Amino acid sequence: MNTYLLKRLFLLVPLLLGVTLLTFTLTKALPGDPVLSMVGERAQPEVIEKIRKELGTDKNVFSQYLGYVGLMLKGEFGRSYYTNRKVFDDILLKFPNTLKLALGAMIIAIPVGLFLGFISAYKKDTITDRVISSLSVTGLSLPVFWSGLLLMLFFSLKLKLFPPSGTGDIRFLILPSITLSLPAIATLTRVTRTTLIEIYDMPFVATARAKGITELKINFIHVFKNAFIPLVTVIGLDFGSYLNGAVLTETIFGWDGIGRFTMEGIIKRDYPVIMGCIIVGTIIFVLINLLVDVIYHYLDPRVRLHENSR
Amino acid sequence: MNLKNSINLLLVTCYSLLVLTACSSQNRLDGYIYYRLNTNPTTLDPALIVDVTGGSISAKLFNGLVRLGDDLSIQPDIAKNWSISRDGLTYIFKLRYGVYFSNKREVKSYDFKYSFKRILDPKTRSPNTWVLEKILCADDFMKGRAGDVKGIRVIDDYTLEIRLKKPFSPFLSLLTMTAAYVVPQEEVDRWGPDFSSHPVGTGPFVLKEWLPNRELKLEKREGYFDVPANVKGIIYRIIPEDLTTVTEFELGNLDVITIPVSEYSRYKNHPKRQGLISSIKGLNTYYLGLNCSKPPFNNLSLRKATNYAIDREKILHTIYERRGRLASGPVPDIMRKWDMPSYYEYNPERARELIKKEGLDGITINLYITADQEVIDIAEVIQSYIRAVGIDIKIKQLEWSAYKEAINKGEPDMFYLSWWADYPDPENFLFPLFHSSNHGAGGNRTRYINLTVDSLIEKGQHALDQKTRDSYYRQAEEIIVKEVPWVIFWHRTDFTIRQPWIKNYKIYPIYSMDKGTEVSL
Repeated sequence: MNTYLLKRLFLLVPLLLGVTLLTFTLTKALPGDPVLSMVGERAQPEVIEKIRKELGTDKNVFSQYLGYVGLMLKGEFGRSYYTNRKVFDDILLKFPNTLKLALGAMIIAIPVGLFLGFISAYKKDTITDRVISSLSVTGLSLPVFWSGLLLMLFFSLKLKLFPPSGTGDIRFLILPSITLSLPAIATLTRVTRTTLIEIYDMPFVATARAKGITELKINFIHVFKNAFIPLVTVIGLDFGSYLNGAVLTETIFGWDGIGRFTMEGIIKRDYPVIMGCIIVGTIIFVLINLLVDVIYHYLDPRVRLHENSR
Repeated sequence: MNLKNSINLLLVTCYSLLVLTACSSQNRLDGYIYYRLNTNPTTLDPALIVDVTGGSISAKLFNGLVRLGDDLSIQPDIAKNWSISRDGLTYIFKLRYGVYFSNKREVKSYDFKYSFKRILDPKTRSPNTWVLEKILCADDFMKGRAGDVKGIRVIDDYTLEIRLKKPFSPFLSLLTMTAAYVVPQEEVDRWGPDFSSHPVGTGPFVLKEWLPNRELKLEKREGYFDVPANVKGIIYRIIPEDLTTVTEFELGNLDVITIPVSEYSRYKNHPKRQGLISSIKGLNTYYLGLNCSKPPFNNLSLRKATNYAIDREKILHTIYERRGRLASGPVPDIMRKWDMPSYYEYNPERARELIKKEGLDGITINLYITADQEVIDIAEVIQSYIRAVGIDIKIKQLEWSAYKEAINKGEPDMFYLSWWADYPDPENFLFPLFHSSNHGAGGNRTRYINLTVDSLIEKGQHALDQKTRDSYYRQAEEIIVKEVPWVIFWHRTDFTIRQPWIKNYKIYPIYSMDKGTEVSL
């Protein structure tokens, strides 16, 4: 297994090169010049030229990219064009917040999603099932900026339970976590329902029932265990994407995370920030996928972690 | 455990979690006033500041030689008085004694020389060199041809002489800007590029903490040379979203907020809140720029027709909800000391006639705008007005920096933009926006050329007597209004709302005027 993990980690290098090259070329192809945004209305053309030279944005895209790779090899992400702060330091400062938010959302989404999915599958084709299914469709269709604002108006303004915005302790975390968890709950409910219904039809469930095993045991020991692989996949994907930042949720609730940081970088064409965030995001995604693969192996020993088995 | 029990357990857990963590208000610091910023300031180094956010904070941390009074007149700041030579070229400033930086060192005239040279020094990469480029030999220093700026001379510890290349009547106004604030060399040397987040100045407050994208904390400074602040400090909370800001305000977590457009009517009609609204007539002009350098808007008749075609008053009263004053010229009404008649009132018939006469009916033109919802709404109304007189408009929506690049290059036929005063002088609305030396990024994005206007603006810049200056500016503005490189919309009025416990609150037309010392809790 170790060789497999090392191989996967080694593959991260060409992947990062590919992702950075693609991102770099695409962002540079966008119209807009960061230097013009930086200098305001009335800067002298000589100053603009000088800043372009110092930032290297006057060179062609390929040499700019090579320069960036050189910087990366030194383990640096450069400094933000605007704030002059080290991008790596800022990512380190914001990542724990994003991690808290993603964990918060998953802590809510996993039990609620699994629970609702289970009820829905168990009570298949009843009113309960239909209500839960409609709720999950609603959860998937609700735009986060709308649900977030509604939650804020209700829980902060009306009930005065939670602070509407800011980055801090658990009080600040609850509303953004709930907002972010809503689509994840909906997806998990649907996937859990479909998976469980498929498993209920399998012969081993009938056998278990015939043996007189209690419903609780059948569900929690036999059925859920077999449903874990697709569920872990969905949870892994959601968690990975939340770790890359949830732009809207972070913006609405003034949460100081990676999503807002990346978005501001994109809007201002702050290339070092964009690149830094993309690289960290790619690494996180790859690692989460790797983790999911490892979990597969433990959940189902038939899944083997070496090349020949795939 | 049956299903009912599990649901009950889940509900009880959720409720307990809610109750345990419940508390909506922030832990407010006693004696501090809470403001909102919608974005993180990029820098607090006066040499590098170009944004209003950074400018308004730095005004509380630094001082310059002079500052603006409530009536927009020039008032002493660190300079207790000054004299101007008869030829308008030499300014001698006498500094106050006993003005200290927050590192407890006294400010001497050398500090101003250092701070001004620092702005002009190419190594600083300051985008604000234009503020001081009028000083004698500033160009030579900026281009590396001279090691010193001859025009700035330290006469003694408390006397500073500044000589200009040419007389420039708004020079003192320029010195009220954030770029002309004094900074201590030892701190700039100590912090290097990080001076931008470790500012040391002479102002009534000091920066205590800056958590980027979260909060800035300013603390009242003891020993400030002027009237000290009434509050213990200021907390700026960075909240990007307007609705979140309103919620925070309603909960009492913010003390003063700028009223978002969507909330304006609600607060205006709110019986308890309407008395807490303050407004200020802004020094700004919103306009539709018509590119005079290429067809079709190099045609004066079409420019006139476009002006006739749009009912500006209606847009102001409906979409803009009367949050502004209809403009009759580019110079804001509160800055103008002369009358400016309106030439092209709404008259679609006349517009149609002119367009037909020029054979331009049926042509398609483009209108460039930014992705701001309010701008999109206005652009769509403009589109319908122009279509009604026989010209089709294609709206092109761009992200801000791409938009700016396109309008600087003269790409669009029409563009919607505004100009905000850097300093309160009509020259600031005429020279950058209409002088032919400023085409593109300089400010004259309609690429308007009229040599008479150029010469009148220059004469105004050099005239020493206020009345003579005003007369030149009036003539220049009149020609511009008649030749309509812009459809001049309005001057925006800004509204803020405060909590009932806030006293002595004042709103200022230029951000640098607010030192934060008057307001109290």
